[in-house]
Amino acid sequence: MHISDGVLSAPVWIGGYAAAATIIAATIKKIKVDNMPKVAVMTSAFFVASLIRVPLGPTSVHLVLSGLVGIILGPAAFISIFVGLVLQAFLFQHGGITTIGINAIMMGTPAFLAYEIFNLRKNFSFGANEFIFGALAGACGVFLATLILALALITTGSEFMGVAKYAALAHLPVMIIEAITTGFIASFLMKVKPEILKGK
Amino acid sequence: MHLPEIDKFAHLKSPLHSWDARVKIVSISTLILSIVLLEDIRVAFLGLVLAIILVFLSKIPFSFVLVHLRWVLFFVLALFVVISLTVPGNLLIKLSFFSISREGVRLSLLISLRAISAALLVFPMLGTTRFYLTLKALQKIKIPAPLIQLLMFTYRYIFLFLDEEKRVFIGANSRGWVRKTNLSSLKTIGSLVGMLLVHSFERTERIRDAMVSRGYNGRVKTLDEFTLSAKDFIKASLIIAIALLLNLFRWIR
Repeated sequence: MHISDGVLSAPVWIGGYAAAATIIAATIKKIKVDNMPKVAVMTSAFFVASLIRVPLGPTSVHLVLSGLVGIILGPAAFISIFVGLVLQAFLFQHGGITTIGINAIMMGTPAFLAYEIFNLRKNFSFGANEFIFGALAGACGVFLATLILALALITTGSEFMGVAKYAALAHLPVMIIEAITTGFIASFLMKVKPEILKGK
Repeated sequence: MHLPEIDKFAHLKSPLHSWDARVKIVSISTLILSIVLLEDIRVAFLGLVLAIILVFLSKIPFSFVLVHLRWVLFFVLALFVVISLTVPGNLLIKLSFFSISREGVRLSLLISLRAISAALLVFPMLGTTRFYLTLKALQKIKIPAPLIQLLMFTYRYIFLFLDEEKRVFIGANSRGWVRKTNLSSLKTIGSLVGMLLVHSFERTERIRDAMVSRGYNGRVKTLDEFTLSAKDFIKASLIIAIALLLNLFRWIR
């Protein structure tokens, strides 16, 4: 889910850039030569995710993976998603240039919450903790992003009310697929390479 | 599927290729900003014509540009349908159960013009310089080093990841797996993506170690040096003047 150039009013996208710059400034210290490979892999995974299609009845939806980026990178997730969006905008013309800031807020801030949700698993013992909390984190990534998308559209002008409603509805199946897939990815990683999911 | 090789035609020769990358990025970004701020459909149309002229001057083939533009076109099309049907106003066409308003068509046309022009301008801006030189230019414009490093690594890994992704899914298909809408299919996709991540983590850690042992410390180093000439500034002032003029129209009227 991306907002293209030319849709939002100037205060909304300029505000998006200002907010994104603040978050980047606050978390840029989390990126070092040491964890660069991990962050770069997650960024390219986020970039490529939009090409992994999951069939859904007659059509198909694609993965978003913003929740997964949050789970694995924690506080560095926002910058990763920001860079992923920059590359998508410039290499694929997917999304917009003036809207990179607001798109990063839309997909990146939910990743922080996804990380916190996934860390809660340590307080429970369901037997399938990674799947359950991974799924919740994945759902949270898409759900909050849809919410922010709708808000950005509505604050731009009342004529976007219709678009906002359709966009929110269209993301319901995306959220369900994303949740289940993120859950399976998290439980797979737990079995194969648990140190990736160390968290705090 | 096409690979996201934005600099595929960076070897050509044109007024945009010879333009200093730093000045080029700043000037064309200004033009993109100014076009996105336009409110008048006629001026926005002028912006689109300008963008097409710049792509033409850059000698990047239009077939290449069009393949890249398909996301924007898809987005614009979807927006056209939804906005024309949901924005109220003077009726343009009324069919039995839906109506298209003049305001809706005007709004979606304006958004389409702005979005397509902005996307087109990326080609003269980034398609005319090798990607690593663009990164070096960004470093000179004082973009924080961690961001540039991350851009560089990610750009390289994208191609790797795309290859691996294809390989993993071909492997699954050749074993008789078919994508379906059910839990077991999602579980397989989850495991394949997880496998992809584990492979990539291990591989990129080896790449990082190899780079660090050869003296990598987080800065872009190339032998190319940037030099500024009068021509660079003439091109820059031309583009920035156009960017300002486009937005001045509205104040004059």
